[in-house]
Amino acid sequence: MFTILVLILAAAGVAIGYGLYARTIDKNIIQPDPKKATPAKMYMDGVDFTPASKNVLFGYQFKSIAALGPITGPIIAVQWGWLPAIVWIILGTFFIGWVQDYGSMMMGVRRDGDTMGALSYKLISPRARNILMLFLYFYLLLIMGAFGIAVGKTLMTNTKVPFGMISVVLMGILAGQMTYKWKRDIILTTIVTVVLTFVGIWLSTQPFMANIFSALYGFHKVEDKVVSPTWFLGNTQAQVIGTLLVVIFCYLGSVLPIWSFAQPVNYVSFWIVSFGVLGGILGMLIWRPGIGDFPAFTTFTTASGPLWPMLFVTIACGAVSGWHSLVSTSGTARQLEKETDALPVGGGAMFLEMVFATVAFMTATVAWGSFKGYQDAGGAAAALAVFSKGLANFLSHIGVPQDFGTAYGSVFLTIMALTIMQLAVRFMRVASAELLGDAVPAMKNVHVGTIVALLLTLLFVWVIPWLTIWAAFGAANQLMAGLALMLVSLWLMSEGRKNAWTLYPSIFMIVTTIAALLFLAYTNFKKLATPNITTQAFLASLLVGIIALVLVVAAAVLIADGWKALRKPRAKEAVEKV
Amino acid sequence: MGVLVGKQWKDWLRQVRRVASEILYGMTVFDWVRDLQRQRAEVERFFVLVTFGDIVGLPILPPYYTLRLLPYVVPVLNRWKRNLLRERDLTDLAELIEGVD
Repeated sequence: MFTILVLILAAAGVAIGYGLYARTIDKNIIQPDPKKATPAKMYMDGVDFTPASKNVLFGYQFKSIAALGPITGPIIAVQWGWLPAIVWIILGTFFIGWVQDYGSMMMGVRRDGDTMGALSYKLISPRARNILMLFLYFYLLLIMGAFGIAVGKTLMTNTKVPFGMISVVLMGILAGQMTYKWKRDIILTTIVTVVLTFVGIWLSTQPFMANIFSALYGFHKVEDKVVSPTWFLGNTQAQVIGTLLVVIFCYLGSVLPIWSFAQPVNYVSFWIVSFGVLGGILGMLIWRPGIGDFPAFTTFTTASGPLWPMLFVTIACGAVSGWHSLVSTSGTARQLEKETDALPVGGGAMFLEMVFATVAFMTATVAWGSFKGYQDAGGAAAALAVFSKGLANFLSHIGVPQDFGTAYGSVFLTIMALTIMQLAVRFMRVASAELLGDAVPAMKNVHVGTIVALLLTLLFVWVIPWLTIWAAFGAANQLMAGLALMLVSLWLMSEGRKNAWTLYPSIFMIVTTIAALLFLAYTNFKKLATPNITTQAFLASLLVGIIALVLVVAAAVLIADGWKALRKPRAKEAVEKV
Repeated sequence: MGVLVGKQWKDWLRQVRRVASEILYGMTVFDWVRDLQRQRAEVERFFVLVTFGDIVGLPILPPYYTLRLLPYVVPVLNRWKRNLLRERDLTDLAELIEGVD
């Protein structure tokens, strides 16, 4: 019954949020004109600026914004209890999430298809663009670190997962070959590669395959427990090999032509992930489990910190995410055929992501029916393991064996993270070549840029604990959302439109995320003074503390410049009146 | 009336099928197609630059060859100029990293 109630609540959020609030804002404030030429039509170049159907763009936008964030955030956040998590998912999307996605998309459309870098340069100040770049680089590093830990140090250490992941990669390469070299039909290619991937995942659950990785990871029994020997900085042999496998994958994804590796692997992964999500939802609807004795509220302060501000940065993408503004301006805004398509594409995709986050929330709550069950499955410290086991519980109700379901859930998450990581490394490689290429010519080399990005990633993965890096990643992401909303407010003000609907969410996000970053900086610098602190803990606290402070200072400069820019139109008005 | 309702039902189904297939296309191969278009555009841009560079101040080939190639290049000339001379920003590349969060 609880499952159905939560789904009804989410549906009501979509109906009122999209059907009433979003449409009212769209109609009365933004006033899109379907006859007005969009950048896609004005600057059509057949590549970046090309009009596309709103349905195609909706699918593209949703796929671009929905990945591990809306899955991981809610699972970590239920440690405060189920009520705060679901309330923030629904209200966050209602008042802030769609506002940011849609607002930045319309700003891109009305400002000639400019992206966030150019917009911050023009609307705030020249140095705002450089600060945005700094944000981006740290943000991507934190993503690499967070996903690297989740995959390399958690999922890949399960001996039933690595071969499944290798199968997806091999089938991705096969898909590329079948499409480009053998000129095969896309439907045949899809059927062959997806079926073979499932065979690979099944093989990975078989004892002979698990034993191969067990030997590779050095697993052995110590007092009835299977353990892997510790190598360095508290990392076991399994974790080091797991992260190295991840790094090799990202290296290939970054240096090989995108058509031969990254794109076909992403394509095959899409089907693997989609079948998992659909199967999970179907199993959940057939089972319809209750919440059991899972508490609505546990305590104000958990392992991640106090509910405010930490809950609001823990659930990022399921409620609001700064990254969406970058995707909305650089990709979708340049392809909208009509201005009126912005709401269904930008707003609609965000509301669907809210539903996706709600399903992930279920895998941590109703799939276990008790807080103890959630904690036994791994709890916040092993959020992805909770998801894969929760998904296996749902899948078992449509006849999928539990063992296969868990391996499938783990492969699904692994590949979801890896497809993002390889593209993030690609971006970091280009960014470092662009920013440092003139001063250090070696950075222009594809391999050097990639290796530098991956070495930094390894440092983060091997040193920083999972919950700390997730909080830092969430805070950087949410801060970007606050700044994007500030940009949208400035744009609305410059056009003489009402901006309370973007300005107040912006203030809330900026205050909350700066509080979260200061909390992170304080707790981590405090740890440095702990007597007998380990080298790993010392390095982790130092790194996170410094990053948190750098982000706070960068945000303070941006806010100061933003405030000046915000006052400019008013000053101009006052002068005109005089 | 019954026939009309049946026809409306069929139209509605056709519409649903079209929307669903477009959304699926957007989720699956749309970005793949865009990547290919981007690669093709890079080659095309380079080719036009080599042959018609003088339009943007880079005289490279003697006019005899450019005149012979002109009929083939005319259809892409406007797109090429827009694409080549457009101001670019690093954040333009953000869309390439799909599904970050």
